[in-house]
Amino acid sequence: MKSKIFLAGAAMMMGIGFTSCDNVLDETPRNIFTPEYFKTEAGVQGGLTSLYANLRNTQGQAYYWNALETGTDEYTYGESGEDENFMVLDFTPASALLKSTNCRADVFWGSAFSDINTASGVIENGEAAGIDKSLLAEARFFRAFDYFTLVQLYGGVPLDLGAGELKFNTSSTRTSVRNTVAEVYTKAIFPDFEEAVASLPDAPRTTGAVTKTAARLFLAKAYLTYAWWLENPNNIPTYPECTRDAGQAKSYFQKAYDIAVEAINNPGSYGLTETFMDAFYGPNDRNKEMVLYADHTAQDEYYNGGVGYGWGNGWAPDNFVNWIAHWNYTTMNNGLLIRDGRQSYGRPWTRCATTGDVPHKFNDQSIDYRFEGTFVTAFRANWYHNGGAAGFEKTGDTERVAANGMKIKNGDIALMFKGESDPNVKVPNGKGDSGLGAGTIDGKPYFVFTPELISRRCYLNIWKSGYYNETTIADETSVGMPNGANPRPWNIARFSELYFIAAEAAVKGATTQSGMSARDLINVVRARAGKWRLAPYADKDYNVDLAEGKLYADHSAEMVAATPENITIEYILDERFREFFGEGLRWFDLVRTQTWEKMAGTYHICDKNYGNVSETFTRSIKPHHYLRPIPQGQIDALQMTKEEKAAYQNPGY
Amino acid sequence: MRKLKKLGTWSRTFLLLSVLCFFAVLAQAQTVKGVVRDQNGDAIIGATVKVLGGKGGTVTDSKGQYSIEAPTGSILSVSYIGYLTKQVRLRGENVVDIVLMEDNTTLKDVVVIGYGTQRKESVTGSVASMKGDVLRDVPTGDVTSALQGRIAGVQMTQTSSKPGASQQIRIRGTRSLSASNDPLIVLDGIPFAGSISDIDPGSIKSMDILKDASATAIYGSRGANGVIMITTNKGTKNTNAQFKYNMYVGTKTNFADYPMMNGDQLKKVREISGAYQPVFTNGDEVEGTNTNWQDLLFENGFTTNQEISVTGGTETGAYNMGLSYFKDDATIPTQGFKRYSMHAAIDQEIGKIFKFGLSTNTNYSVTNNANLGIGNVLSASPLINPYNADGSLKGVVHMEKDNQWTYTGDRIKGLGDSYKDQTTGFGTYNNFYGEIMCPGVEGLKYRLNLGLNYRHQKSGSHTGTGVFSDSPTSNSSSNNTNATTWNWAIEHMLTYDKTFGDHTINFVALYSAEKSHYDSQNMSGLKIPSDQLLWYNIGQAESTTINPDPKYQGYKESGLESIMGRIMYNYKDKYMASFTLRRDKSSRLGGKAHTYPAVSLGWDIAKEKFMESASWLDQLKLRVGYGETSNESVDPYKTLGLLGTRAYNFGPTGYAMGYYVSELPNPDLDWEFSKTYNFGLDFSFFRGRLSGTAEYYIQKTENLLQNVSLPSTSGVGSVYANVGKTENKGFELSLNGIIIDNKNGWTWEAGLNFYTNVNKITELADRKDRDEGNGWFVGYSINSLYDYEKIGIWQKDEEELRQIMEPGDSNGPGMIKVKGGYYTEEEEKAGVIPEGKKVGDARAINSYDRQIIELDPSWEGGFNTRIAYKNWDLSAVASFRHGGKLISTLYGSSSYLNMLTGRRNNVDVNYWTENNPTNDYPSPAGPVSNDNPKYGNSLALFSGSYLKFRTITLGYNFKGEWMKKIGLTNLRAYATVTNPFVLFSPYYDESGMDPETNSKGDENQAVNSNYNKRILVVGFNTPTTRNYLFGLNVTF
Repeated sequence: MKSKIFLAGAAMMMGIGFTSCDNVLDETPRNIFTPEYFKTEAGVQGGLTSLYANLRNTQGQAYYWNALETGTDEYTYGESGEDENFMVLDFTPASALLKSTNCRADVFWGSAFSDINTASGVIENGEAAGIDKSLLAEARFFRAFDYFTLVQLYGGVPLDLGAGELKFNTSSTRTSVRNTVAEVYTKAIFPDFEEAVASLPDAPRTTGAVTKTAARLFLAKAYLTYAWWLENPNNIPTYPECTRDAGQAKSYFQKAYDIAVEAINNPGSYGLTETFMDAFYGPNDRNKEMVLYADHTAQDEYYNGGVGYGWGNGWAPDNFVNWIAHWNYTTMNNGLLIRDGRQSYGRPWTRCATTGDVPHKFNDQSIDYRFEGTFVTAFRANWYHNGGAAGFEKTGDTERVAANGMKIKNGDIALMFKGESDPNVKVPNGKGDSGLGAGTIDGKPYFVFTPELISRRCYLNIWKSGYYNETTIADETSVGMPNGANPRPWNIARFSELYFIAAEAAVKGATTQSGMSARDLINVVRARAGKWRLAPYADKDYNVDLAEGKLYADHSAEMVAATPENITIEYILDERFREFFGEGLRWFDLVRTQTWEKMAGTYHICDKNYGNVSETFTRSIKPHHYLRPIPQGQIDALQMTKEEKAAYQNPGY
Repeated sequence: MRKLKKLGTWSRTFLLLSVLCFFAVLAQAQTVKGVVRDQNGDAIIGATVKVLGGKGGTVTDSKGQYSIEAPTGSILSVSYIGYLTKQVRLRGENVVDIVLMEDNTTLKDVVVIGYGTQRKESVTGSVASMKGDVLRDVPTGDVTSALQGRIAGVQMTQTSSKPGASQQIRIRGTRSLSASNDPLIVLDGIPFAGSISDIDPGSIKSMDILKDASATAIYGSRGANGVIMITTNKGTKNTNAQFKYNMYVGTKTNFADYPMMNGDQLKKVREISGAYQPVFTNGDEVEGTNTNWQDLLFENGFTTNQEISVTGGTETGAYNMGLSYFKDDATIPTQGFKRYSMHAAIDQEIGKIFKFGLSTNTNYSVTNNANLGIGNVLSASPLINPYNADGSLKGVVHMEKDNQWTYTGDRIKGLGDSYKDQTTGFGTYNNFYGEIMCPGVEGLKYRLNLGLNYRHQKSGSHTGTGVFSDSPTSNSSSNNTNATTWNWAIEHMLTYDKTFGDHTINFVALYSAEKSHYDSQNMSGLKIPSDQLLWYNIGQAESTTINPDPKYQGYKESGLESIMGRIMYNYKDKYMASFTLRRDKSSRLGGKAHTYPAVSLGWDIAKEKFMESASWLDQLKLRVGYGETSNESVDPYKTLGLLGTRAYNFGPTGYAMGYYVSELPNPDLDWEFSKTYNFGLDFSFFRGRLSGTAEYYIQKTENLLQNVSLPSTSGVGSVYANVGKTENKGFELSLNGIIIDNKNGWTWEAGLNFYTNVNKITELADRKDRDEGNGWFVGYSINSLYDYEKIGIWQKDEEELRQIMEPGDSNGPGMIKVKGGYYTEEEEKAGVIPEGKKVGDARAINSYDRQIIELDPSWEGGFNTRIAYKNWDLSAVASFRHGGKLISTLYGSSSYLNMLTGRRNNVDVNYWTENNPTNDYPSPAGPVSNDNPKYGNSLALFSGSYLKFRTITLGYNFKGEWMKKIGLTNLRAYATVTNPFVLFSPYYDESGMDPETNSKGDENQAVNSNYNKRILVVGFNTPTTRNYLFGLNVTF
């Protein structure tokens, strides 16, 4: 017995030998990647993909979009937008002060530097890993794109993230020095875009990848923007302060013109769609006019990057611009309109409103198709989208009362937005029968909005970037997923902009090529705008004509004839307004041309009232507003002296 | 001196030997028999009967009888745990019946202190104990809810009211901002790797809670949040087999339905708000309808617990085995929890020096439909008639703005396979030990502990086409997660335990190594072709969306290697000391080592000569302790940095994965360290009639882990670093008294615990004094909110001031009035006061008017009492808290149930109208912000005070000869009502509902992003229930 016990005890003691192995303290992560992975070829390619994916964090991010639209002549804050996110950007007396803590341009600041660093990492490691030059040129494109946007929003920004200028940073540095605008353009933006133009392919490597055309478009725009900055016609301050040689401006205008024309003459697979509306019709997404976009897909939630198609939360990487730009049409009386997952409807948040002046700026509406192509001009009764399938019928409801006591059926126009004033429209006192303060026309069963009736509650809903989900649209009995984020790609740059860049450079004195004067270039775009795909107020959501490509009318010749002989910057800006309304370009355009205050200093709208009580709002836009405040998060995270921190901020904030 | 002591020992040994010889020669052996009973005359089973100085002994059988060979004149010693040992000199009788008196003092109780046990009277750290029997006073399937309000300094807070949910445990407050504040749980000596809901309360013998660092430092890097030692039932040597059958069965009803409006009330709100038509005639609303959606959903729940166990022992071994089944069905149909548990413990001695044992706790649990929410039921308009004219249920009902799936109990029960969500868990926790007494060195012992634990959890859910959606064609979807946890631990322990005269020494040395592993795989799919598949073949999904999402694939493995030493010294139970040193090396820190010292001292003043006259005093022990610990706060791989991933599509189907640096490597990461001082006083008066403990502690934690924001311009968002400090100070008091001790059949006992904890952040990252986003402010508790605070409603006679403070809101009086509206010093500092104005001038309400609102209670605790008369007893357990804030999201903005516009159904509140100028709730016509009343979140705050009776039990203990005839030794029947009533709760007074939280801050609201997850709130979770139980305890 005793020996047995002894042996058992000895066996137990053996355990010590087995357990003092070192491997207890080893660590091998098996479900995540650490930065070590960036040193492999696959890691470098993954880094590149993240640059594309990061576009979604800003492009189609509604708060950032709002920072590029609210306060311009396109948008003001809407009825539900009375918080700092929207109001401070409007500079009206009721707005709070625009500060480093409340400016939503911060979205870009927060996303760009990580992107820049990843691009630098890709470039450094990619060269070492022997990655093809054309791939690395994509990284250069994005680094330049980020710096170009930053420099327009904030002025000079740092080129050294902690490891040296344009070097991949892996240290947790907490100091920062801003370079000047000139340095950012000449050291980063131009060399990177130039290398991208040289090395990128003509045709995209894969759907939506950047090409020579994309690089040329942005390089031309960067030259143009830099030329304006050098010229500084209205004496707008820059920061950090530096000298600008106005004499150099001309050569950059010329470069802008040359590169833009080169892009137009070598379009590759790009070009203008036949009609304006074609470029924005959901089923046409990723058309030949889209040079750069933040892609989304309705096919796969995961790769779409969002939280799910059924319900969106309203933050990146989702595309939800249409929410904040749409007023709540479902508040119309009698349930004529319900939330609907179609391009004219979608989820309404009423945060950003078109001003009452917007329709007037779309002049020549009888021949210019762009008002129709930009906005929801007619809301059609859609309550039937919520019925039809077994168990979901509602009886006795095939018709409902709309305007003038008249009944309408599903699919009939319930509410029309006219782009021009109309003396036949009777305006109610207060909400009226529509519940919206909409007018009526004798004998017509629908309600009507005219420009004077536009308020912060009811305004022009944007159709261009409206909701579209190819997987649910086929079902006519259902509203689809109106509360989801928009699974459409968000357009960043269109081919038509090349004509404007070249034209603007020409107006600023660039020597033009024959047949490519400013007027010639503008007319290409205007001729296209005269081509009508659909009749006014047609049903854009269910129109076979739109899909089949028949033309309803062609006013191209009239459009060209109406173009003034002498193209001015103001004319280009007006034309850009009609062409690019709501595409997130307006603030950049007004700031580049230093015409913000002039173009958007006042506006008219019915505030939160119903009916015809349009008021004039005056914005106090100051020269220092041409730069956005550096976000407070950046300043707080810096370990620098109080004075250094104060000097880091743009003056005036 | 040493020589003298030696001599003393020798002489005593000699004397003892002489006496033994004397007895051996003189004593005349004879058989003595008898019965051992307690004060009530009940037989005591398993009492030890020995002849002093004699060999061996015996124990009483199931009838309390013993029989022993004992010479006349010898002394018979009879002892039993919990009773005072009795010695009887034999004068030649053959039958000696003995009555043992209960020992009310618990000083001889043994408490588990980690790597050993100690008599309660000699403990110097802060250790609170709870016997399994006492724990089971609250019949529940969950250990944490049984502990609620029972121990001073141990706060249990409900995080979910669903069946099978466990509560959040906080020992002496929270200390960590971003790491875990959960205590370490040790099951039968081995750190527990499972889920606490796996532990069957029926198998617990005792729970010992180590609160201060002088007690927890033996767990070193894991001790800072406190340690809960759970010991499961063990057998006793030399006892006959004894069976126990315990059961209860009960029905559950909602403690209260959610207080929603009826149709008429909602219509009224709409009339006033003007935002919606009073009755939306184009939907399914019909004037005069008053549908109570909750009645259509809820039904009575059911709960039962069934447990059978057997225990016994031979001369060299003991065993305890049990099986149990617990079932708890919610009042939401199809929602419920089931658990099957198995427990076994075996101890065996082989010869004199070798002993081994095994204990195992294994269980299988099933949670069904825990994700069934009730938000839609509460938000549905009561004006809707859910039935068609032919009596059939409408598939979807339409309101003015919202359409929803018609949610009723019958419909949910009829869903079958088209909706199912199920979590099954299988866990097995096994500990083996072997012990060898060192031959030749008395008191020296080597022990090997081996722990081997495994847990598998599978969560599947399937939602069929159109289920819960307002679109009958919405896609079906399935989701499946499998998670595996395993962990092993090996411990080599040397202990030396020896008494030298008045000096007792206990020494422990330990080497241990352990490894923990976790991995999980998740998969989900859309458009599952048949409901029958549930989540078992997501590969059949018709949609290309078959997603093993990399975000949801888990893997963690970590190791810990430690050495530990502890010396405990005791002089005559008068002076005591304990010294501990532990050194931990963790894989999480790349093998970096840290050492944790602790010391504690005790002095029992009652044992001093000068106190001898105070015979009423059993104990008056002063304790003081200091220790350092940490909380294993760094997750595995955190030091290595991380690449974030971004999925992208090039074109509609060109899928690719992107990587970017999201966290920089940081090899300097370290634990959070806590230093704790503890001062305690244990007392016992009148032979245990009144006893208790008072304690005061200060704990300072530094090196707090925080995500420190890097400036964006560094290219990386943030770095995880050790910065910041917190502090906890608290006072604890527990009292136990026997107010009436078996007088004329009456007994009355009561226990009370009371505690405070003041938590404070003392330093934040970058020495900032505030972090508004996280709600952290230097000088304030971690659990704080930063928001507007309602102080009333703007009344008609305050228009002048309101126009200044709320300019632009033209809707007149009736809106929420919040604190502030005057220029503050802070604004002066920030330089934002316009010219001509000064601090104190009225101005428009702005973001400077947000207040720091501390949520922690100012004091809390619990009490229990038991009144017995003869066979009857009545007992109650209650818990209370005072002060702090309760957040009920129902009343705030995030649930969308108090919008006061009439868009959806509304909580029934007393809102302002011209004729009802209340200060409670705003006017439905008032200004709206994000669909809710402006400052709507301020309506969510209530006083956190309450006194809640958790259980009241009436029991009857059967007595009588008939029981013996059928072989029963103990039979008790009882009836319990849980959650019978709530007092002193403003929230209960307002809503009629349970004032305890039922959700984490990011759950069970329409908008789950308003509060931090760590802030616990009331949301629209499964309602708290009142249970009516009937139970039986049988021993045979």
